[in-house]
Amino acid sequence: MINKPYNNRAWLGVLPVLLIVAFSAVIPLMTVVNYSVQDILDFNSRFYVGLDWYRETLQDPRFIEAFGRQVLFSLSVLAIEIPLGILVARGLPKNGAWTSVLLILLAIPLLIPWNVVGTIWQIYARSDIGLLGVGLNELGLAFNYTSNPTHAWLTLIAMDVWHWTSLVALLAFAGLTSVPPAYYQAAELDGASKWQVFRYVEMPRLGGVLVIAVLLRLMDSFMIYTEPFVLTGGGPGNATTFLSQYLATMAVGQFDLGPAAAFSVIYFLFILLFCWIFYNSVMVEDAEEPEGQRRD
Amino acid sequence: MLRIQNVLLNPGLNCGFDHDFLPGKMTVVLGRNQAGKTNLCRLIAGLSTQASGDLSLHGQSMNNLNPQKRSVAVVFQAFVNYPNWSVAQNIASPMVAANADKAYIQYRVAELAGTLGLGDLLERMPNELSGGQQQRLAIARALAKEAQVLLLDEPLVNLDYKLREALALELRSLLEASDTTVVYTTTDPKDAFTLGDDLLLLDQGKKLQSGAPLAVYQKPTGLAGANLMSDPGINTFPWTALEGQGFSQRGAVNDSLANEEKGDLGGVRPEHLFFADRAGEDAVSFKLQVSALETSGDETFVHGMVGQELWVVRCPGMLNVQPGQELTVAAAKRDILSFGGV
Amino acid sequence: MANITLEELSFTYPGAAQPTLLPISVEIKDGEAFALLGASGAGKTTLLNLLSGLLVPTTGRILFDGVDVSEQSGSQRNLAQVFQFPVLYESLTVADNLAFPLSARKADNGLSGSDIKARVAKIAGELDIEHLLKRKPKALSLFQKQLVAIGRALVRPDVSVVLLDEPLTAVEPRTKWQLRQSLKRLQQELGVTMIYVTHDQTEALTFADRVGVMADGNILQTASPQEVYEHPAQEFVGFFIGSPGMNFVDITPGAGDNVYSHHGVASTAQRLGFRPEWAKLVKGAVAPELSKVSWSGTVTLNQVLGTQDGQPVGITTVMGDAGELKVRGPITGASGDKVVVVLDRFISFSNEKYMASHYND
Repeated sequence: MINKPYNNRAWLGVLPVLLIVAFSAVIPLMTVVNYSVQDILDFNSRFYVGLDWYRETLQDPRFIEAFGRQVLFSLSVLAIEIPLGILVARGLPKNGAWTSVLLILLAIPLLIPWNVVGTIWQIYARSDIGLLGVGLNELGLAFNYTSNPTHAWLTLIAMDVWHWTSLVALLAFAGLTSVPPAYYQAAELDGASKWQVFRYVEMPRLGGVLVIAVLLRLMDSFMIYTEPFVLTGGGPGNATTFLSQYLATMAVGQFDLGPAAAFSVIYFLFILLFCWIFYNSVMVEDAEEPEGQRRD
Repeated sequence: MLRIQNVLLNPGLNCGFDHDFLPGKMTVVLGRNQAGKTNLCRLIAGLSTQASGDLSLHGQSMNNLNPQKRSVAVVFQAFVNYPNWSVAQNIASPMVAANADKAYIQYRVAELAGTLGLGDLLERMPNELSGGQQQRLAIARALAKEAQVLLLDEPLVNLDYKLREALALELRSLLEASDTTVVYTTTDPKDAFTLGDDLLLLDQGKKLQSGAPLAVYQKPTGLAGANLMSDPGINTFPWTALEGQGFSQRGAVNDSLANEEKGDLGGVRPEHLFFADRAGEDAVSFKLQVSALETSGDETFVHGMVGQELWVVRCPGMLNVQPGQELTVAAAKRDILSFGGV
Repeated sequence: MANITLEELSFTYPGAAQPTLLPISVEIKDGEAFALLGASGAGKTTLLNLLSGLLVPTTGRILFDGVDVSEQSGSQRNLAQVFQFPVLYESLTVADNLAFPLSARKADNGLSGSDIKARVAKIAGELDIEHLLKRKPKALSLFQKQLVAIGRALVRPDVSVVLLDEPLTAVEPRTKWQLRQSLKRLQQELGVTMIYVTHDQTEALTFADRVGVMADGNILQTASPQEVYEHPAQEFVGFFIGSPGMNFVDITPGAGDNVYSHHGVASTAQRLGFRPEWAKLVKGAVAPELSKVSWSGTVTLNQVLGTQDGQPVGITTVMGDAGELKVRGPITGASGDKVVVVLDRFISFSNEKYMASHYND
């Protein structure tokens, strides 16, 4: 039991946050759960249908396809962003005049509004006026992301990598700068090769940071909506329709509130699962004792 | 007077202890690492800690007071100063927080800086100071608060050994005249002797013994307490080793640990042993198999085996003793301590 | 194992107004235990970094077995270092940690897997850590981790020199004794050249065959612990070694001439120094024997350090004709009493340099 002087006034500080979260998150969430177990024909006629919508959604072939595409997308971007981010972080000078400049440059893609990101790439990759599109076509590749599903995928992945690798790089950089120089010196005196230094000195320190990076990117990429919507609109055809977009079509486009709500709840539970894994991993990391250094 | 009662330094203990810290006196809290010294300091200061207990200062309870409201100043082990403020601003900070008069603040800052040797450094920032200067700044800041209780948690441990010597004596002369209740924690028995008017010995969160340094040194209430007052620790031997030496004094200390694990034990401090060909009437002797020798100039430490135990003999000067020799060491009968039931 | 020579070695940080290290020349023999002793800021860390290849000398050379290695990197010099806190590979077991310096250079040293295993077992045995071989650093105490770090430094049979940078800093006071013993024993058994940097005189004097006392970027004296203690080459050395260090008294020309010349003090001597344990305190205001060097004063402080024959002993501070003096011995007299400090031996200094040692008959 931590014996702190008890301060009741602290609760007043938390109250505004509690209210905001209640209004913007808890109540709407409960509404959605409510809708998910009803058949809503119009405002006045609703019927309780139990878990019907859930069953229907999980068996819906289009849902399963969208889910499959989503998983493929998330894993692809993760497989590129994590190693690339670490590589970039290792390339940054640890301290010096350039460090701040490079960190700022790295941070820029993270600050751009997501629909703007989508728009940038949408134009950039166009085969008629986009720099990338025209350039690729000039090189002899018949590149057209509006008609070719594979090209659409590649463009989407490239966009996400451009957008989010910096996050991994910045996190990894923070992890790397926490390594005391003595470790590098000891490894050098041992005669360790560059690879060994990475594997035995840097990776163990990066471990905790990487877990955070992986789970953040996994959650975020699973929820991705704006950028692919702006870039491809889900097309060509269904080729790049991920979960969020399918949900939006169902709920807003077709106004099938019941099934849409069920879909939302399922979607929400997946993200919650990732959060839970995240929380547990981080708690385990915190339990480790940090290095103690007593003298200067 | 600072009175602490029912103090549990670790949550796992079921029996708390009491202690009175006398005003105007320096109490040295002596214990190994993890004995609970820092927990005790945090408890008195009102900082979050696992320790619990009742505190009262001059009769008034301090239990529910915020740290800001307590008349307690703390000097930590890792020189803690406000990094963005100059030396003068640092020293002034507690007085500024108490809304003291500007002229008074200026006067006090100059006075404290002078006393602690920081007079020329008033405009510097903490990171421009050496370790010793930073710690002096922390002490000046603590003194500026004019609190009734001053806590120093191993303040010299991160300093060079020569600096430590000098600063310990400076601290003593600084604090001698005031009527502040001073609590100084340390792992080194030498600090206990140099600085302590009163000692409090802690081990694993429990109070072992308290009293004047010489009394605690000569009459330990247990093996753990005896160990704390000698550096290196006390040499032990089974009581049976003294058979035939005409030593019948058994006034033993009841130390349940010694009793259960090793039977009746005798102990003798490393500094009380001397090399002799034969023990005289007032002394008892042991056979030491010398294994190693260490000298620090003014003292020599002889390591070796006596029976099954590893002993250290601490002698003044530089001795000519070789590893492998078997020598007789003796100690005056009055210096033999005994632990275990009679 | 190598013999190390520093020739007029100096170092100045780029852009600094003054050199951190003044030209230093010293030779450290193969297999020697050498300690570099000095306060913070004396330059010992800079010297260590020059030896380990982290810094390049501004002037002068560093020679390992006669070969100029000043431009070489640390790993090229084949040395090992133990740091203030245990530096281990957290993801490897203790056995793998110990084997790493050998297996990393497998191509160069031609050791087979079983050779490496045998060497690891030998070092683990010497350090008494065989039972920890399968564990990971996370599961070890600080003391055990530092033992492994020392093992890592000693595991290469052909290591040129082992540098130790205040290796006992992070270790608890009780276990410092054990670690010191282990280090000394290993150094002697394996015959490894070790350079031990510290600010603690006990560590330096107990460990070393020879001590180099540093101050202000210079090595003031390089000699055996006994020499450095009994015959300090400079006043600073006398002050720095000993707890407390030497007392110094100005020799005012004319005063006490007979006594001084009776003891063989040269007329050019400026100060005399004596260690607290080289003097006695006698109660009273008058010197008992006029043939001995002595001063009277008043006791200002008694620091009790223990008892001898049931009587408190410790350090007494006396303020008197000769300034503030500290005497170690039985506590004679309470604060305010008049006492006389009588010397048994002392050293005369001129320009802060050692002149001669003087003893009382």
